[in-house]
Amino acid sequence: MTARKSGSRIETEIERCRSEGQWDKIPELVRQLSAKLISIDDVGELLLGEMKLQQFLKENPPKQNCSPRAARPPLTEARTHLTNALQRGNLRPELQQEANVLMGKLCYVEGNYSEALTHFSCVNLDDMQLSSAPIYRLAMIAEAYATKGLCLEKMSTSCPPSSAERDQEIITCYEKSGDIALLYLQEAEKALSAGMQNRSPKPGPISQEQELGFFLETGLQRAHVIHFKNGNLTCGVGRFREILRAVETRTTQNLRMTIARQLAEILLRGMCEQSYWSPLEDPPAQSPLDEPQCSHTHTEYTLPRRARIYTGENLFCPQENTEEALLLLLISESMANRDAVLSRIPEHSADRVLSLQSASVVYDLLTIALGRRGQYEMLSECLERAMKFAFEEFHLWYQLALSLMAAGKSARAVKVLKECMRLKPDDPTIPLLAVKLCIGNLHWLDEGECFAQMVVDMQDKAAEFRAKGYLALGLVYSLKATDASLRGVQEEYQKKALGAFQRAQSLAPTDHLAVFYLALQLAVSRQIPEALGYVRQALQLQGDDVHSLHLLALLLSAQKHYHDALNIIEMALSEYPENFMLLFTKVKLETLCRGPEEALLTCKHMLQIWKSCYNLTNPSDSGRGSSLLDRAVADRRQLNAVTLPDFSDPETGSVHAPSVAASRVEQALSEASSLQSSTPKHGPLHPWMTLAQIWLHAAEVYIGMMKPAEAMACTQEAASLFPTSHNVLFMKGQVAELRGNLEDAKRCYEEALAISPAHIRSMQRLGVILYQLQRFSLAEKVLCEAVQLCSSSHSGWHSLAEVLQAQGNMAAASECFLTALQLEASNPIMPFTILPRAL
Amino acid sequence: MLAMDQGVVEEWLSEFKTLPETAISSYAASLKEKASLVPALYKVIRENYSDLLEPVCHQLFEFYRSGEARLQRFTLQFLPELVWSYLSVSAGRNPHHSGCIEALLLGIYNLEIVDKDGQSKVLSFTVPSLSKPSVYHEPSAIGSMALTEGALANHGLSRVVYSGPHLQRETFTAQNRFEVLTFLLLCYNAALSYMNSSSLQSLCQLSSRVCICGYPRQQVRRYKGINSRMIVTSEFLVQLITGIHFALCNGEPDLGSKALDDVLYRAQLELYPEVLLLGNAIKSSLRGAALKSNKEGTRSIQVEITPTSSRISRNAVTSLSIRGHRWKRHESQENSIDSPDPPLGPIPTISVTGVSGERVVNGEALRGRTEAETLGGTSELGLDPRGQEVRRQKPRDAVDLGSPEELMEISEVDEGICTQAAVKEGSPPIIVVSSTNVTPSIGKTAGKGLRRLTGSRSSKDKEREKEKEGEVSRKQSCGRAMSENLELLSLKRLTLTSSQSVPKGGALSLSRTASAAFSRSFEQVSNALGVANRASSPASNHSPKENRHSACSLQEEAYVDHLSPANVSLQLSPDV
Repeated sequence: MTARKSGSRIETEIERCRSEGQWDKIPELVRQLSAKLISIDDVGELLLGEMKLQQFLKENPPKQNCSPRAARPPLTEARTHLTNALQRGNLRPELQQEANVLMGKLCYVEGNYSEALTHFSCVNLDDMQLSSAPIYRLAMIAEAYATKGLCLEKMSTSCPPSSAERDQEIITCYEKSGDIALLYLQEAEKALSAGMQNRSPKPGPISQEQELGFFLETGLQRAHVIHFKNGNLTCGVGRFREILRAVETRTTQNLRMTIARQLAEILLRGMCEQSYWSPLEDPPAQSPLDEPQCSHTHTEYTLPRRARIYTGENLFCPQENTEEALLLLLISESMANRDAVLSRIPEHSADRVLSLQSASVVYDLLTIALGRRGQYEMLSECLERAMKFAFEEFHLWYQLALSLMAAGKSARAVKVLKECMRLKPDDPTIPLLAVKLCIGNLHWLDEGECFAQMVVDMQDKAAEFRAKGYLALGLVYSLKATDASLRGVQEEYQKKALGAFQRAQSLAPTDHLAVFYLALQLAVSRQIPEALGYVRQALQLQGDDVHSLHLLALLLSAQKHYHDALNIIEMALSEYPENFMLLFTKVKLETLCRGPEEALLTCKHMLQIWKSCYNLTNPSDSGRGSSLLDRAVADRRQLNAVTLPDFSDPETGSVHAPSVAASRVEQALSEASSLQSSTPKHGPLHPWMTLAQIWLHAAEVYIGMMKPAEAMACTQEAASLFPTSHNVLFMKGQVAELRGNLEDAKRCYEEALAISPAHIRSMQRLGVILYQLQRFSLAEKVLCEAVQLCSSSHSGWHSLAEVLQAQGNMAAASECFLTALQLEASNPIMPFTILPRAL
Repeated sequence: MLAMDQGVVEEWLSEFKTLPETAISSYAASLKEKASLVPALYKVIRENYSDLLEPVCHQLFEFYRSGEARLQRFTLQFLPELVWSYLSVSAGRNPHHSGCIEALLLGIYNLEIVDKDGQSKVLSFTVPSLSKPSVYHEPSAIGSMALTEGALANHGLSRVVYSGPHLQRETFTAQNRFEVLTFLLLCYNAALSYMNSSSLQSLCQLSSRVCICGYPRQQVRRYKGINSRMIVTSEFLVQLITGIHFALCNGEPDLGSKALDDVLYRAQLELYPEVLLLGNAIKSSLRGAALKSNKEGTRSIQVEITPTSSRISRNAVTSLSIRGHRWKRHESQENSIDSPDPPLGPIPTISVTGVSGERVVNGEALRGRTEAETLGGTSELGLDPRGQEVRRQKPRDAVDLGSPEELMEISEVDEGICTQAAVKEGSPPIIVVSSTNVTPSIGKTAGKGLRRLTGSRSSKDKEREKEKEGEVSRKQSCGRAMSENLELLSLKRLTLTSSQSVPKGGALSLSRTASAAFSRSFEQVSNALGVANRASSPASNHSPKENRHSACSLQEEAYVDHLSPANVSLQLSPDV
């Protein structure tokens, strides 16, 4: 203000130096000043005193939690200057205030708290002008409040009976100090950037990062520390939010990062949806978060001027604790990410550890917040950003792998898991997770075998996981056996699988999965009685396991105990009423036991269940698209049955005209990717595929009833969903056969095979039709191929035998007939392989 | 059960029945004062055969149905105990079944899945995004964000459903059991702050028991009760873990950490990634915060005054400093352009020294790579099959002009302007990745490079060029890149010779801008560079290996493909 009045260049310069903390220039300026005017002497004393004090503080920065009790020469000097300035009383009121405030600070530094308080009582801090004050004065006022708070606190600890009133006064001091400090920092930055623009041609002093001194730091943070110490979470959170809402400055960046993280911690650890209140709401009068005994009298105060806060239209304001925690963590993450130390030279290892620590805390909290809400897709993207910290950091790699896995990005998850294995070769869980992915939708059996072998090779180190390892190994072999086209290879894998399952079972006799897969493997190799024994054992261990019950029913059907099988299925359905796999088997069994009418009723029932289950499905549930790569992989794998999305269609389940369906398919294909991720990972088939399957089962029942028209209508329903599905084409072929239209049937089967070259049933029927068309050698070739692909299907052998017989090859034919007969004796109503084999 | 407890419960049962509608809220407030009631009710629930169980369950349901929040919470506090009671009975396949507990659980579930109007409730939340202003930030201050696919697809705020809608359930079946229980735990977790310690303890016990029954760990925990395994779902465990986390931080560190360990143990056996994620994160985040139960309060939320200045030393290379670094280099480029003879201006050179002599393991190769990439070039640090580091200098502009996006992707915090400017001006920063053990093979490589430069490209190269062209044809600047290719190559030769004649210029301009770490390594490499230049002075350029990473593949490969040495050598083999 002096500056503005006189307009003197020196005074402007002094103000600038005080604001920028260039104390070393002050003596020279004071000399110049006093050379011009004599009456300014007192001002000079004030400035010199301030300079001495500040330089002392710069050299001996006070530390938190330790009292600065050291009167040293420079302080006595400063005291002399300030006393001189104060004594004469010639100063203008503002400067008189400044002198008192500085004196108070000096007394605090010296440890004379009561003296400091008397100095502060000389000035009414609340009267000090905030508006239009020069920047240095803002800092001074903020520091004064903080110092006063510190002194009051020291006094109250020395004389214990501290009243609530006193506590409140202390807190108010700190809060005011913090508010003014924020204002000061904003103003200082504004001035600095303005100054930079004005002085840009000059080299000028390098824009050094401003550092908050001890007093400002205390002022900004002590208030909430006290709140939390008193167990007053509500006020502490309120204070955090106030600081965070103030517009960021360079200096407050680190503070904001820390506070944002701490607030997120509190939101995640100590709050719940019901105890939350949003930042723009008033806090609840009574909260379970606060200690019951803590006082709730939080004095409100007003300051004439406050720091700018974030404003604007459509500001996002969180409405829920997870939302707020997420927002804070994203802010914190963006800052932590900037501080990632990239260089790996040894000198910076301490810095690397620091930056890693601060980042990994943020990423852990992000994981907690997103994991609770099931947002694994977003989480995997966040953790990907953490990878710049991740060199040789097992935790970060592992978390990324898990998040990729949870987000359904299997292929990349496996690759990241490989790195995890390298970093921690002793952990059996990691290769097991990899196997789980490999034998899941990736179908990477060779890799899977490799990983499972790793677990098995860990021997005793793997402890309980060894059984799991054998189980995984068995599953890989079992799947390989199914895939193998040569009979010898198949048998070898089946043997290996059996061995592995037996090993798993002996290691973990109470694990129902090991017993179940053992039973399944025996069933696949048609050792029905043995399989029955094991499946019963599995059911003893886990009575309501759906797959065991299903397998039991299939085994009973293989022994031609259709009624028993149906009973089992019905029992299973009472526990799993919405399981379509069971229902499909039920349809087949009912056709045999109770006639097709019953089966048709079940089909109708299925349609009803389908509607009640999926009509509810929320349209906004579709999740976020997975990455391009995973999509591409998934697409390739699912080529034989393009998935159809469109959850949002309200008329699901109703009849569609073919044209509608066609346009829908196109739409679907463009959107297909968006749906991939939303399919439940372990759940049943995709809803639309399920619907199509229901229609196809109904069609089959109608075919059994010799009703081609109805069967065609059902097939058409399925075709409107999946016009290019091989199953649909196969069913069309069946209908054509029923109508006696062999050429049409042949075309349909050929089309089905064009889409899915390994579709056994189409192959078998094609062979039969070729046989009926008297094209024996071709029929033989097709049927041979079918038998090779699936050697356990009796109808294939039977048809082959007929063809051979027609060709006059009686010896071979009779052998085939025999095989067919043997296989038929142990043929289940549905192939055993429909049961899922997964970890 | 003691007669006294029974009396308390009976009194509680009769009291509420006679309560007039208006007195409910005052009654709810007074419930807290009945200290002996809650333990007595726990006893009733634990004792499966108590006659009081049915009326108690009925009354708890009445409480819940009243709609009074405090009464609802009173009921909710028993939820973990009720769930355990239900699960243990159904797992034991006990003929005696606790029908009333099932009914209570289903009753709460059916009340909670609908809103006031009887519509199915859908729980959703908004995913915040830094690209939209909020009460806590301004997008411009955050700097450019990673342009991941997800970020683009999700630009702005999106609401995501995390639970619901759910079907009304009449009975528990094996299929819907955990669906119902998971939802109930979600409701419980929403009121966690109001739960007292006995409820939290019961939650921890429930978690431990569900997870270890029937597994070897049951012996470790010395729990004797049911010893058959219970089926769990990962969603159920996630909800349990959320509650355990709260218990851990709010007065139950011992039981909580035990429960957390047990849930993690089970999650490992079941191979549930979701649960492992959450559990690992909680464990690791609590490792820092000391978990001792402080005497004055039960909460382990402790806040200290932290220094506000960055604790990371100024001369460490951080993501941020690299960003600033690039700006400065860019400025110096501008200067050099302004000078009368652009091609002869000093070319700033950034170099990264590889570890000499040592065998570079995968991780390190990766590290060197990312470092170099973040510096702005796409230099390749490779391994040849013999395990020696191959020295390769790859001028970025010669090949990479086509894809500025690539750079954007590499250093996500990069300002777009910088990259674009660099592309326009075409005065390239040269990235050298070198090892100090200069091998004689350099001459050979250089010779090869020369051959390629002078146009006698092998057909293989041309093919790859085509491939590359196809790859980048989507990108706008591709055409220009191809046409300018030759021109730039000649430019490159000029600039290199000039830097050889005035090597100090480049060095100076760099050492001013670069941080300590880099200027030091620069000195080392400028020597190496000198040697290299002398060795290959007529050509002065090493084979500008085509960058075969498309923008999208890079992201993948950056940390995945390089994990196995096989991949690395495979990738390089055509050129080495």
